[in-house]
Amino acid sequence: MRLAHLWDQSRCISCGACIAACNAANYASTDAPNPTWGGAQTNIRRITFDLNLKPYILLLQCQHCEDAPCVHVCPTGASYVDKDGLVKINPNLCIGCKYCMTACPYGARWLHPSTGLPAKCMGEECQDRLAHGLMPVCVTVCPAGARAFGDLDDPSSEINKRLAKSRVVRLLEYKGTKPKFFVVVGR
Amino acid sequence: MKISRRSFIALATTLSAASLIKIPWKPSEKQASSRTEGKIPIMCNMCGAGCGVYLVNRNGKMYVEPNLEHPQPGLCARSAAALQLWNHPLRLKKPLKRMGERGEGKLQEIDWETALNEISSKLKEIISKYGPESVVFTYHDFYAWHMPLIAFTLGTPNHVQHASCCHNASTYARTLVLGAGGPPTVDPDYERARYVIFVGRVLNAAMGMVQRLNKAREAGVKLVYVDPRMGNAAMADGEWVPIIPGTDAAFLLAMINVILSEKLYDESFIKKYTNATFLIKPDGTPLTEKDLGREGTDYLVYDIDAKDFVSYRKAKNPALEWEGDASGIRVKTAFLLLKDRAALYKPEDAEKICGVPAETIKRIAREFANAKGVIEDGWWSSKNANDSDAFRAALTLNALVGSVETPGGLYVKLGSKFPASATAAKDKVTTITGGTLPPITAKRIDTQKYPAVPHVFDAVLDAILEGKPYPVKALFIVGTEPFTRDVNTEKLKKALKALDLVVVIDVVPNDSVDWADYVLPDNIFLEREELAEVKWTPHAAIQLSHKALDPPQGVDARNGFWAMMEIVRRTVPERAKAIGYTEEYADYHRFEEFEDYVKKKILESLSKAWNVPSGDIEKALNEKGFYIFKLWVPKPGPGTLPTKSGLIEIYSLKALDYGDDPLPKWKTPKYTLPSKPDEFYLVNGRDQYVSAHAAWTWSVSSLVDRRVWMNPKDAGRLGIKDGDIVELEGLDNGFKARARVKVTNRVREGVLFVYNRVGGRFSKLISGQYQVLREGINPNMFTLSWLEPLNGSTGLNSTVRVRRVGA
Repeated sequence: MRLAHLWDQSRCISCGACIAACNAANYASTDAPNPTWGGAQTNIRRITFDLNLKPYILLLQCQHCEDAPCVHVCPTGASYVDKDGLVKINPNLCIGCKYCMTACPYGARWLHPSTGLPAKCMGEECQDRLAHGLMPVCVTVCPAGARAFGDLDDPSSEINKRLAKSRVVRLLEYKGTKPKFFVVVGR
Repeated sequence: MKISRRSFIALATTLSAASLIKIPWKPSEKQASSRTEGKIPIMCNMCGAGCGVYLVNRNGKMYVEPNLEHPQPGLCARSAAALQLWNHPLRLKKPLKRMGERGEGKLQEIDWETALNEISSKLKEIISKYGPESVVFTYHDFYAWHMPLIAFTLGTPNHVQHASCCHNASTYARTLVLGAGGPPTVDPDYERARYVIFVGRVLNAAMGMVQRLNKAREAGVKLVYVDPRMGNAAMADGEWVPIIPGTDAAFLLAMINVILSEKLYDESFIKKYTNATFLIKPDGTPLTEKDLGREGTDYLVYDIDAKDFVSYRKAKNPALEWEGDASGIRVKTAFLLLKDRAALYKPEDAEKICGVPAETIKRIAREFANAKGVIEDGWWSSKNANDSDAFRAALTLNALVGSVETPGGLYVKLGSKFPASATAAKDKVTTITGGTLPPITAKRIDTQKYPAVPHVFDAVLDAILEGKPYPVKALFIVGTEPFTRDVNTEKLKKALKALDLVVVIDVVPNDSVDWADYVLPDNIFLEREELAEVKWTPHAAIQLSHKALDPPQGVDARNGFWAMMEIVRRTVPERAKAIGYTEEYADYHRFEEFEDYVKKKILESLSKAWNVPSGDIEKALNEKGFYIFKLWVPKPGPGTLPTKSGLIEIYSLKALDYGDDPLPKWKTPKYTLPSKPDEFYLVNGRDQYVSAHAAWTWSVSSLVDRRVWMNPKDAGRLGIKDGDIVELEGLDNGFKARARVKVTNRVREGVLFVYNRVGGRFSKLISGQYQVLREGINPNMFTLSWLEPLNGSTGLNSTVRVRRVGA
């Protein structure tokens, strides 16, 4: 099983529903600032490329890499690739050394101010949703149909259907991370 | 069956609902011991769109999800952040009373009883001196349905919404061309759309529209955004057409020019469904049977088969292009007059006005016509105080290509027959509760000055300051924010100073609390029940937003409907009694019985109107949160429309009644145009991050940009770098304010952009991390009272001089 995210840049209206919903579901709607990124505590970042001729945005979150630098540098085995293919953190093993935060080429991890541990996608509630057959909250709330999530090993999964009919890029592929966050840039 | 709200909550939701409203916040610290799940249907009210959502509770973790079965399903960042508004540290917690001068923001907590009694005793004094019409309620969406009941029971006709600073321009256009009303009454049939042009509009709301558009995206719809700045949605697939502010009408008239001169229009549609074939006399009025000395007053067309002038209702083959003599009267078809008008806007000429290359105008016109496209009919359109002509041109374009009531064209929404809370007739006032009151003889202030579309707040400010048409002495500001809503801030301040009583009802300290004599803390939508029409769907449907939460601990917020009814009752007890509101409801918990009674009456009325058992409606509302009475389906064209002719009036007969031009034309905006290198248009706008209340949540506050956007070419020319601080000075009012600059290609050269409502806040009650709301500028403060005649649509854009003051 290789669970993966898809985000369709050609359809995303940048409404921020996924960003705010991640905060609401995984971080109890807290208004405590995100000490790493500023703004809200959420696992999804929005980056705007304002100076491109046609400006565009990128939504960035854990890429659930198959060859994940965060896992390689973790001295305790707290960061690991689970059997479902998602990169996870075992808080019992984590010593808060932040190597993973430094190693992640996507800057997808942030330091939770009260636990002192790194946080990232999937949050606790989203993992629980998956365990109960629900989609991650960012996928559920998206009004633009710009997100999909599912198993790359399942040919009939929604994500595979969408990948089959889309032009897709993956971010910083040259780093050899084998990211599982697919960015649809067109049909 | 009578279902009280409390019993419903116990009944209808699974397991946890009863505890859901009791769960103290911070679920992460206080996890429920056993697994509990539940979801409660809600109508999101973070902005005015009213999207259908659920408040979900999974193991004490609460958040908002879309209600995907709902005819207008949510949600965006605003809704997702709703619990941050609910639990906001700056929520108004107790009634407040002003201690210093108005504007100083010196307020002190008082108890509810004292607040209500003091407000009421002041009101009694005002009403005895100046009459009840001297009291004005201004509001946005909260309690919009209730407001006639509240105002009419007090005895004032003056409930004046935000509309002149929102949709009056497009509403005027819809009235003239389609006989329709506010923005939800007409909208594109997004799911079947092939080509959509958005004029100054971003997909900021409603999210149900975005959901419907997904189907069209699958089928390859093209989206075009005509706007001086690039909204969020335009960053996805689509074409952005950067246009000079205030010139949309010229662009659209040039499209009409192309479509008419290249014969790209749908001739049979125009002949059948529009008044293009009407014969117009030299004085501009239409030729009627009476003009030819015949029986009847029908409008006449020239029938090519009959070779005679025939009533438009009977003509078999009406001529589209005909001019000649009708019994000595020189007449010409409306279509030819439209052609004459459009001839003034050749693409090459329009390019000089709107800054869009003629080739682009031609290409878009051809693409639009060939695809039988649709132009969105406008929602928030109070931008340059000349916007109604743009939307008249847009509606005309839709008619020309046969896109009204057709698949992928504009739909005319099916009304839900939702009854009014109160109706003021000439002989009496009747209320939903079955009450009757003597007629209100005073006339609304705004429509005396702007007869075509009501809700023009600037007219209220004039009345406060001039005492004409009669004095205004008390103002209730309910869930709205004049400082980030209305134009001409100096006039607003003067008017607020001149009043005898200012009451603010709100949930967070929007700036007007600093100017209030009394501030009453309101419930947010999650804390009260509301039965409402479903807007932004073509279908006839209603929804019930359930009460899901109590206010957080320490917040003594009360339902604003109760607060206002209590003020009314304490002021005019006999009138309140006549509509069924008595002292027993002073007990806040008993007030739910009054609300239930009102709800019962609404359901009875709907049940009768649609011939559906009340119980069926109620069951659906309780379980799913909505009920659909009738589904809209596309047709070959519209049925009889509520225009004077019953047709789409590309030549507006209603405009003639108002003494307005029957055809659209472009007019220069009223603000001073920029002419020097350091002078710019200052446009403001929205996105999914903007509303007076959503702006307060940390998630939305973190997504929105409070900087002033500037094009890289302008920045380079003026030596301004990204992040620099500039001072803006209004060319027309000299107002100065400072903000940081964001250098971006998302704004046209010569134009600055800021989001509306999110920056430049000044209330003294703002503290802590929320001080970020003070950053940036409030664009409204650079405006004057630029209003369109007849409909009062304001110009919220302005022009400024820019000076770099720091890094």
